[in-house]
Amino acid sequence: MSEITLTINGKQCKGTQGDTVLEVCLANGIEVPTLCHYKGLLDIAACRMCLVEVEKERKPVPACAYPARDGIVVTTNSEKIEKYRRLVLELLFTERNHLCAYCVASGDCELQSLAYRYQMDNARYQYAWPNQTTDSSHPNIVMDHNRCILCGRCIRTCDEITGAHVLDFGKRGWKTNVCADINQPLGESSCISCGGCFQACPTGAIFSKISAYRGKPSECTSVESTCAICGIGCDIHGLVKNNRVVRIDSPDMTKPRGLLCEIGRFEPLYEAADRITTPLKRNNKGQLVNCSYEEAFEAIAKKFGTSDGIAGLASGKASTEALKAFADLMEKLGSKLVDTLDGDDCRTITQGIAKFDGKSGLDIEAKLEDILAADSIVVIGAYPTKTHPVIASYVMRAAAKNKANLVVIDPLRNPFTFRASVWLKPPEGKKEIIIGALGKSIVDHLPAKTATASNKYAATFKDIDVKKAGKDLGIDVHDIVKAGEVLAGSKNGVIIYGSGILQYKDAELVATILNLAALIGDKPRVISLKRYGNSRGAWDLGLVNAKGSVAADLAKCKASSLYTLLADDLTNSQELADSMKGVEFAVVQASYRSPVTEKADVVLPSLLWTESKGNYTSIDGISKKTVPMVKANAAIKADADTLKEVAKYLKK
Amino acid sequence: MAKVKVATVWLESCAGCHMSFLDVDEFIIDLSKLVEFRRSPITDIKGFDDVTVGIVEGSVGNEEEKEVIEELRHHCKILMALGDCACFGGVCAMRNTLDKEAVLKRAYIDTPSTYKGKIPVAPGVPELLDKVYPANQIVKVDCYVPGCPPEPEAIKYGLTELLAGRIPVVPSNIMRFD
Repeated sequence: MSEITLTINGKQCKGTQGDTVLEVCLANGIEVPTLCHYKGLLDIAACRMCLVEVEKERKPVPACAYPARDGIVVTTNSEKIEKYRRLVLELLFTERNHLCAYCVASGDCELQSLAYRYQMDNARYQYAWPNQTTDSSHPNIVMDHNRCILCGRCIRTCDEITGAHVLDFGKRGWKTNVCADINQPLGESSCISCGGCFQACPTGAIFSKISAYRGKPSECTSVESTCAICGIGCDIHGLVKNNRVVRIDSPDMTKPRGLLCEIGRFEPLYEAADRITTPLKRNNKGQLVNCSYEEAFEAIAKKFGTSDGIAGLASGKASTEALKAFADLMEKLGSKLVDTLDGDDCRTITQGIAKFDGKSGLDIEAKLEDILAADSIVVIGAYPTKTHPVIASYVMRAAAKNKANLVVIDPLRNPFTFRASVWLKPPEGKKEIIIGALGKSIVDHLPAKTATASNKYAATFKDIDVKKAGKDLGIDVHDIVKAGEVLAGSKNGVIIYGSGILQYKDAELVATILNLAALIGDKPRVISLKRYGNSRGAWDLGLVNAKGSVAADLAKCKASSLYTLLADDLTNSQELADSMKGVEFAVVQASYRSPVTEKADVVLPSLLWTESKGNYTSIDGISKKTVPMVKANAAIKADADTLKEVAKYLKK
Repeated sequence: MAKVKVATVWLESCAGCHMSFLDVDEFIIDLSKLVEFRRSPITDIKGFDDVTVGIVEGSVGNEEEKEVIEELRHHCKILMALGDCACFGGVCAMRNTLDKEAVLKRAYIDTPSTYKGKIPVAPGVPELLDKVYPANQIVKVDCYVPGCPPEPEAIKYGLTELLAGRIPVVPSNIMRFD
């Protein structure tokens, strides 16, 4: 990459060979107005706002698509160019129905602010007044074609960043429009609702329903935090007005963990259930009634003081600080019956890792960024489109952009299958046969050099008969052979597995997957999809019971009392409530009313992650901080403080 | 010095621009010393004298409005379009995506509160134009103060410039479209 020098507005500017004129301008602090340019996306020169003059060029050229060359002379601010830009604006305004007076984006619109800048107080062209439609079929996103300038930022975001490529230009010429899939209503399309499109939209053509008219960015305070929902740890930029989160954006969609998904972008904007705002205590009529923190703590201390067996359950939704305080409390109580709600998953994963290499460490798992660098990816028993959509986006991007080979093992069609190099459809059930067969098939195709190095891992699959396996599973043997062939050449393959594997609680299966991963890379790269935002943090703190699930058989554990740190966890609450039947005295610390709190004798309120400061460890072991975006009800104590107070009362 | 003659008209719009005009506060006192309003929506005078400055609020959507703006153009030296409707078509132009018949049917027949409605046809009722037009698509316009409504600051700026003998272009910092 050689350095080049060009003259821009009479100034000597340095750039790198391969840069566009726009990139050199921006790097040298020369402002050029743009609309269709968006950081991190491929430039397509759709809007013509960045027109510049280049000496010896017959006509103005778009800076975003014009390669910077050594010695060229560029003018970005001549009167002629400014006149052209205003002309472009007038054309954009007359092409569709841009009516700022009732537009959701007014005041926060790139088109409008450029019109102000160029003092566009009228348009010299005839208005087209096209009869455009508004598509509000999607639960969260509205697409108003009247305000679209066809810059394609949504389309490129959908393709290049989200990897979904649901949006694209439909029709041609004058009739060109942004459309979803094959011109279906957005709500019926394969849209994954990540919201990248409306974040990228320069006008009000695509916007979020729930955020609309609730506050312009200029009226909001912005908070940089981390999403604590699923354990990926995406950076978020929250806009807050009147102590409500109005909108959640990504601070920079092009950065790793900068991409957001439907869950992160919209879930914090809705109240999930009945919020618990004060401590509750069961009275002698058996009803839960409001009480003070002191009363609640005293009731807990009294019962726990006489109780012989106290069990503790924590949800991976709580912050590391809360989990630490919980662990301390349990230690003080001398309880050995401590577990997390997804303890089974963590046990299966760690035992599997122990079987594979003797050390039980989650650190062996790959980082999420490895997906983007992978040359092949196997998705097995995992449903990241539902549980961890950002991982799904990474997989799609790796498959589409980096041409990574994608092997999907799933009986049902899912968004990955159409991008897959090979789609293996074993029947529902345990996956050991197909994993074994795939392993053998890879071993058969390994290049001679790698084959010796991988002997140790290949041994696992030595005695497997691929043909028989194919027959047993009812799938074409050629598919398995092809998958083996495709995967055998890879150097940094990644395997993603999740609940579809973990539900069998079989460590052997996890170990086999690790062996398989070792065959398709220089080291085994696996990513297991853990259930909660801080599942990994809970495991790191040693909260996962080594022996077995506490929640599953509370009755057998001989625990007469139970302390559950639920935070804002609402998953499987009925199941958990049922398992609490035999417990005499239950304390639940939760944000929302649920079947679990209905079973409790004392309920303590808990903050949401959007209201509190805390650390969360992502599924691949990176610690991220949340910052409170909104102020909670002043009466609610932070989770860790509540737990510490409980511990204090026990002393008395 | 003789007062500058001004005529203002209110065409298809909400009158918000005239309201914003009144919102220039004490400037209106200074202004009244310098200008003489020969016609405005408040005076209800129908005819026109020859004036120096004509100010039009609202877009042109029917035969009467077309006649009024043409008449005003004929009688003024400088025509200023005031507000989004006059400058761009504004909210009134929302009907332009549909044809005239559909608009009339919707307004007079389909509205839920209408019982046995019919489209009014009478010699006194001006005919709708096929589309709603911004002022500059019907007559020549010399200067524009956009906004819905325009900022009083912008109106003040526009008039001050005109009185100083210059054609105003509203500066970016006080220009607004909403």
